[in-house]
Amino acid sequence: MSNKTKQVPRRKFLKNAASVAGGAVVAPTIIPSSALGLDGAVAPSERIVVGGIGIGRRGGYDLGCFLQQKDVQFAAVCDIKQKRRGEVKQIIDKHNGNQNCDMYRDFRDVLDRSDIDAVLIATGPNWHATAAMTAAKAGKDMYCEKPVTKNIDQSLILADTMQRTGRVFQAGTQRRNLPHFAFACELARTGKLGKLKKVYAHPAGMQALMSGWLPAETEPDPDVVDWDMYLGPAAWRPFNKKLLDGFNFEKGGGFVGAFRGGGVLEWGSHCVDLCQWAVDDCLPPVQYNTPENGELVARYENGTELIFREKGWIPLGSCPVRFEGETGWVEAGDSGKMVLSSPELLAGREVAEIGGYPATFHVRDFLDCVKTRSQPKGNAVAACNAHIACHAANIALYLDRQVNYDNVKHEFVDDEAANRLRSEALREPWRL
Amino acid sequence: MRTIRIMIHLMVILAACYVLPTHSVMAADPTASSEIETSLIEVLRSEASPAEKAIACKKLAVNGTSQAVPELAELLPNEQLSSWARIALEAIPGEESSKALRAAAESLDGRLQVGMINSIGARQDSQAVELLITHLQDEDAEVASAAAVALGKIGGEPATKSLRQALKSAPADVRSAVAEGCILCAERLHASGDSATAVEVYDEICSADVPQQRIIEATRGAILARDQDGIPMLMETFRSPDKKMFQLALGIVREFPGSEVDQAVADELAKATPQRAALMIQAMADRPDTVLLAEVLKAATEGDKLVRMSAIDALRRVGDPSCLAPLMNAVSDDDAELASAAKQTLADLPGDNVDPQIVAMLPGAKGENYKLLLDLIGQRRIAAVEEVVKALGSSDPAVRKAALVALGETVKLDRLSVLVTQAVSPKYPEDASEAQKALRVASIRMPDREACATQLAKAMQQSKPDSQVILLETISEVGGSKALQILADAAKSDRPGLQDNGSRLLGKWNGVDAAPVLLDLAKTGPAEKYRIRALRGYIGIARKFPMPEPQRVKMCQQAMDAAKRIAEQQLVLDVLKIHPSQAGLNLANQAKQTPELKEQATATAQAIAAKLKK
Repeated sequence: MSNKTKQVPRRKFLKNAASVAGGAVVAPTIIPSSALGLDGAVAPSERIVVGGIGIGRRGGYDLGCFLQQKDVQFAAVCDIKQKRRGEVKQIIDKHNGNQNCDMYRDFRDVLDRSDIDAVLIATGPNWHATAAMTAAKAGKDMYCEKPVTKNIDQSLILADTMQRTGRVFQAGTQRRNLPHFAFACELARTGKLGKLKKVYAHPAGMQALMSGWLPAETEPDPDVVDWDMYLGPAAWRPFNKKLLDGFNFEKGGGFVGAFRGGGVLEWGSHCVDLCQWAVDDCLPPVQYNTPENGELVARYENGTELIFREKGWIPLGSCPVRFEGETGWVEAGDSGKMVLSSPELLAGREVAEIGGYPATFHVRDFLDCVKTRSQPKGNAVAACNAHIACHAANIALYLDRQVNYDNVKHEFVDDEAANRLRSEALREPWRL
Repeated sequence: MRTIRIMIHLMVILAACYVLPTHSVMAADPTASSEIETSLIEVLRSEASPAEKAIACKKLAVNGTSQAVPELAELLPNEQLSSWARIALEAIPGEESSKALRAAAESLDGRLQVGMINSIGARQDSQAVELLITHLQDEDAEVASAAAVALGKIGGEPATKSLRQALKSAPADVRSAVAEGCILCAERLHASGDSATAVEVYDEICSADVPQQRIIEATRGAILARDQDGIPMLMETFRSPDKKMFQLALGIVREFPGSEVDQAVADELAKATPQRAALMIQAMADRPDTVLLAEVLKAATEGDKLVRMSAIDALRRVGDPSCLAPLMNAVSDDDAELASAAKQTLADLPGDNVDPQIVAMLPGAKGENYKLLLDLIGQRRIAAVEEVVKALGSSDPAVRKAALVALGETVKLDRLSVLVTQAVSPKYPEDASEAQKALRVASIRMPDREACATQLAKAMQQSKPDSQVILLETISEVGGSKALQILADAAKSDRPGLQDNGSRLLGKWNGVDAAPVLLDLAKTGPAEKYRIRALRGYIGIARKFPMPEPQRVKMCQQAMDAAKRIAEQQLVLDVLKIHPSQAGLNLANQAKQTPELKEQATATAQAIAAKLKK
């Protein structure tokens, strides 16, 4: 099954890394510039060797963020598409000033390389959790795009696996490392808004795009497009190029395949994640209702409401969130702007306005934690809780009724139908 | 009749095979749910296409019962539909599903067999332990590996025993999975209170010939399962020359229970290289409940620079008032990076008593320390206006500047007059610029801008003409309706200086609310040059701010009526061209009647018409 194109020993990478040029250095705060070389270059022993898995549109953007970091040596790319493998290699080689980026069709061959410290997982959501856990068991740290998991069980297993394996995991929830979102969450988390009453997330559509089973077309040569690896843990279906869009394939979690619900996950893994941060990353809500007047209301154990809302937002760009307490509120969006119920909430602080939700800071946070072994902002436990909230909301949508979740037993209360939707079998031979 | 029902269900399912926001098929009514299940089973029994059967399987994951198991089991050997059938069988509770998966695990081979075993593991089917133990010996390494992990997920004495044995005897390509299974078993043992056996299992893995990652996982387990007795092993891991083992120790410290480990890590610092010690300090600081602050503080004040930098950074998270003096000393360090890091940490130093202590130190402070404390008062926004005001009398310009900056960041409305005084009549003339800046910072920061503008206006009335301009500029930056009115009054006053600056600042006003004021000034201003300036400001608002098009055209019409000169009328035509609308086109056509405007109005009208056609 594997298709290892080429392997290069670590010392060759270290030698080649000396020619890395350009890009902004954002050194870890604990590393003084005097510890770096005269030109700010990073000593080989301090570099993090990274491999990319599934580098498409989003992955290409992430790759750019990694390449900006001088302590990163991007050494390999894996993709099931031959064309894309070649394109990404060109980008990396151009950046590195050599021809040494290795290409792979099977990500396990990247994981087998002892010189690679970390991987960027930017496949489609179908693969995220399975690839992440396989990478963790292979001893790699990882930056993994979102949505990270397809169902509740995967979310829980992900958190357990990262702890057991001692790996550093960063979900691609880059808004956790943007100042205005961080400030808004801090206001909510630290009681500056009074007792928190409601946190609002914008799911941007509560319906799923599904992938299904389309009429069979001639399957390409696996070296050109490896359909079996593309499907990976997803149930089998014949090749059809309309399904060959990893960004959307099986995106709705366990609900793809013709079911209502699932749409919450795409944007929810960002904006619900911010709401979770606002409630201090506590356990997810325990009650989820069906939408009324465009609002799906979930409730945390302490009574605070998590509200999935389509409309009614101040125009602050995509992915807006709003946190309401007894004495104040704050709303923020992707424009980099936020609106406060009172300027006093700023307490004289200046909050940088960074629009366009760049991932550069999030990538830097990940790389710093790879070195310090601290927990990055989008760590596995935080991602697990946010994803469970999204999955449970999707289950309420699918069942079209209220569901109640027990965070201790990790199951829905007296609700067999909902409990059956907590997990889904992976196609052979994949397991978590 | 049965055929018709199947057809209907097939049509529904087929329609659901692509993009479809259908409602749930799950029925709250058990009878309805049973009917759904029956119809889905009929699909599986029929000659329906694989696509239809696949979707039926998926729905049976929710609606299926033991009734559906035989039909689902039929699909398990089917390479296309096996994974779909397992979606349902893995979800349907009860012995029937388990039996079907066990039977298939015995009859199938290769990948399909792996799939069955994986599902058995996911269901934690304890009845399958014997079967899985047999498969641990399977010649197919993938099958044996799947069995090992499944046994780990199920756990229990027989599973654990078999896996421990296999750890010694399994072929190399299966041993990693066996170790994974062992670790899962050990976790269960530890969680259930049998830590001694868990430790035995972990230790066996650590001694086994398995991949390093399994050793890492087992080492973590072995240390944590030993509880406080695991500290020596943790310290040993810190000393490992292997980078990955050292990194593992950094991670374990952050989750290790109790407080004994904090001292152990602190003692280990001296034995570590600076590079490693720097990272260990970060780990120490990630234990805020038990961190040994004195040790971190010590590392911040002496020794290798790398370690000091890390410790100073760590104090931003775990420091307290006891760190104030040492950090203030570090600010005067010869090394600029250390000094800068120390200053940054002082600005962020946590602890409720830090602010009062900074204020308390102020009266006795001298020289650089005095200035530093003033800086910190500003950076930390400490309310200490009266103490800071005293610094305004210092003979040191740097101290006075620091005091002004601090006041700009901290003063409240009731003491804004302090900065007004400094801005308009400072004791030291060279302080004027800094004082004016501080006044602006403070004024903009005020939560009640109307009240702030009112207070500044009062001060204006009692000031000299030059000072009035300074305050007027500050008022314009405060914004709000009161500020707007004050500017309007200034522009129409009988004082030339105020007329000039009032109209100038109105022209720069950043909001549509200035429009009526500017239009009025354009018509009734005290001098021609101010009327022109106001009219240009008015036209500028129509040009650059978003607003409903009818409102914009109305503004343009009014500007056209008020304009006495061709130059301003041409500016209006520019606005119409930038924001094309039918009403704007009409206005441009009207402008053609003015001979001097005819050429530009015609071009404007043509441009608008062309844009409207698109």
